[in-house]
Amino acid sequence: MTDAISVSGLTKAFGSTRALDGLDLTVRTGEAHGFLGPNGAGKSTTIRVLLGLLRADGGRARLLGEDPWTRATSLHRRLAYVPGDVTLWPGLTGGEVIDLLGGLRGGLDRRRRKELLDRFQLDPRKRARTYSKGNRQKVALVAALSGDAELLILDEPTSGLDPLMEEVFRETLREELRRGDRTVLLSSHILSEVEALCDRVTIVRDGRTVETGTLAGLRHLTRTSVQADLAGPPHGLAALPGVHDVVVDGGRVTFDADPSALDAALRCLAEAGVRGLVSRPPSLEELFLRHYRHSETAEAAGAAGTAGAAR
Amino acid sequence: MSALAGTGALVRLALRRERAVAPWWILLNVGMTLALISYIERQMPTDAVKATYTAVIAKNTFFQALGGGFVEPRLDVLATWRSGGFLYVAAAFAAVMCVVRHTRAEEDAGRAELLRAAGTGRRASLTAALLVAAGISVAGGLSATLTLVASGLGATGAAAYGAAIAVAGWVFAGVAAVAVQLSRSARTATMIGLSVLGVAYVMRYTGDATRQYWLKALSPIGWSHLVRPYQDERWWLLGLPAAVAAGLCVLAYALLDRRDLGAGLVPERLGPASAPGERGPVSVAWRLHRGLLVRWAAGVAVLAAAVAGAGTIAGQLAAAPAASQDLLRSMGWSTGDILDVLLRYMTLIFAHVIALYPVLMVQRLRSEETSGRAEIVLATPTTRLRWAGGHLVLAGLGSAALLAVAGVVHGVLHGLLVGDLATDPPRVLAGVLGHVPAVWCVGAVCVLAYGLLPRASVALSWTVWIMTAALGQVMGPLYGMWAGTPLEPFHYIPNTFAGGPVDARPYLVLFALTAALVTGGLLALRRRDLG
Repeated sequence: MTDAISVSGLTKAFGSTRALDGLDLTVRTGEAHGFLGPNGAGKSTTIRVLLGLLRADGGRARLLGEDPWTRATSLHRRLAYVPGDVTLWPGLTGGEVIDLLGGLRGGLDRRRRKELLDRFQLDPRKRARTYSKGNRQKVALVAALSGDAELLILDEPTSGLDPLMEEVFRETLREELRRGDRTVLLSSHILSEVEALCDRVTIVRDGRTVETGTLAGLRHLTRTSVQADLAGPPHGLAALPGVHDVVVDGGRVTFDADPSALDAALRCLAEAGVRGLVSRPPSLEELFLRHYRHSETAEAAGAAGTAGAAR
Repeated sequence: MSALAGTGALVRLALRRERAVAPWWILLNVGMTLALISYIERQMPTDAVKATYTAVIAKNTFFQALGGGFVEPRLDVLATWRSGGFLYVAAAFAAVMCVVRHTRAEEDAGRAELLRAAGTGRRASLTAALLVAAGISVAGGLSATLTLVASGLGATGAAAYGAAIAVAGWVFAGVAAVAVQLSRSARTATMIGLSVLGVAYVMRYTGDATRQYWLKALSPIGWSHLVRPYQDERWWLLGLPAAVAAGLCVLAYALLDRRDLGAGLVPERLGPASAPGERGPVSVAWRLHRGLLVRWAAGVAVLAAAVAGAGTIAGQLAAAPAASQDLLRSMGWSTGDILDVLLRYMTLIFAHVIALYPVLMVQRLRSEETSGRAEIVLATPTTRLRWAGGHLVLAGLGSAALLAVAGVVHGVLHGLLVGDLATDPPRVLAGVLGHVPAVWCVGAVCVLAYGLLPRASVALSWTVWIMTAALGQVMGPLYGMWAGTPLEPFHYIPNTFAGGPVDARPYLVLFALTAALVTGGLLALRRRDLG
């Protein structure tokens, strides 16, 4: 199987800021690939290099087997792109923007367009200046999905969408993926979104790839964070294999558990007497704070924390 | 008074944001007042010249309508009469923009929501905007007053003149306050406000032109003229605009209390749901920028009509006594048939003004890039060259079309009013269209700046246009600066109105230069980072 995207050792500096510092990314044809990282990690810069808008300072980037800078035009016939922060022409209606972009891409499927408009509940007759951020995002999504591109590059496509619309987006994208001939690069800073849609993920930070692999392979990403209020102390919890970061504070205990360790950990809690229980998947911010803190400087971890808080 | 909570803070915020705008407005009042005092002192030094000028004006409907009413041959009257026609409208314009900027535009951007949630009252933002707009109007009027007094003219007339400027601002601050309640977007609110201003101006102008003075008396702009500073200073008349402004504010508050944040009483119109058939970069550029071109065409047509009206003075001046002939000579109209000299001069005015259009179009290219709109277009199979090319084709053809509009309107009206309807339109059109290569050349410099130095390109392109206009043959002689600046492209264009053989070389050189500059800019654009 060939790779739809293959990037290695990519570097790009803006003045004295190093936006990309040896980034690697491999997306296999036909897969949905999650591109995860906090804001400012270099996701959008990588995508702009892949679109031929920016020229990399060093490293190698291949999109569908070709050089994205020199072969931009022919490559763009085969892909569709949704930017993270969609700005539209204020005087044009949503419908006009969709057709304009579709026309430049060589035509779009009118039936598909209508179906998507209905699904996303977007009124195409409104001028772009009256659209909310979420509605502008919908315009870009409808424009991208009503074409027949083999590669979809989506940069934080659900930012600004409400939870209902997020679900519509996921459902639509799943249908696209079921056809089997589409490849998706989905950049996001929300782990659950990537978990819901992607087979493999690449995690980046400060312009560098921290981790890449299948979701199942990255066990620590699927850990559950548990917080419990107990009647007594949880004897032996910290010693259980697959239980991490146990903190006992009076009657309250917090820890992370691998899926294989959940059963034993809950039994241990039940023995102590459970009065309250909250369990949830860890957020990306927590992952960065907890998991990667050990390998990075404390300062960088603080920066990731504030980047997460700023959203 | 919880509806007004936070007004003080909002006023300070608005003043902080006005720091970039209000000083220019005050400078305009001072500059315009000073310029006309010194202009009249220089060009009409003696009472006899002033009397001749006044007598000519009194017989010329166009100039009387432009200045607004009768004029007396005294420096103070002449100076305020000439600048007032402009400054009253400018005060109204500034007030409309100011009120919309601090009310509806804030709602559009979502910042009003933030402030409202932070504990500012429902009426605070409108109140702050009105206070600031009224304050800026007063500052503008006061700066004109102080300028007049400092120039040694009477204080009473100066105060009346300043007050007439300020009240024009007040009335239109009130108009804008109502407009922002009616509309759903800042754009529509500005359009409503400026339309009212346009109607007021036309009523005042028509009133003076046709001597139907009731029209002028009904126009808010007319009220400022009717105060007649340095003539009989009708102070009581200032009460009328002040009362109307107050009434409009009451109406605006009543409407404000009845609507939701972000909503308007006039619904936003829906547009087309689809746009099939827009495929090529030129047709896309046309769709995106046709509004600008249409507005420019309308503006150029009005300018050409006004200039043709101004041409009616030529015949009267030529027939005027020797004193006026001195006046003409001082303006540089010394040789040749006066009508031909006039046509050449007016053609240059059109060319200088229209040269701004390609400059703005190149700036739009940059704003497409910085806003991220270029990114979604360039992620389609459109190449950078085709994307930029589409814009530039529209910029080039658009500037030629604008010159043609100016040529046709001015040629026909000049033929009707002053010259010969059979021969004038074609030679005026040809003369105006002859400036296409120079206009293109100005735009081409901006394209090179855009390709090579994108960050500095907007500032550079403004500089290019201002330098060509300010150092050119129209403005240059006014302050003795015209010395054949080699970098100004317009003076290379042969004067076709003078007759005689026309040299083709300047055209070819300018076309070649334009092509080289555009090519350089596009090559640089292809190689650099975008965004």
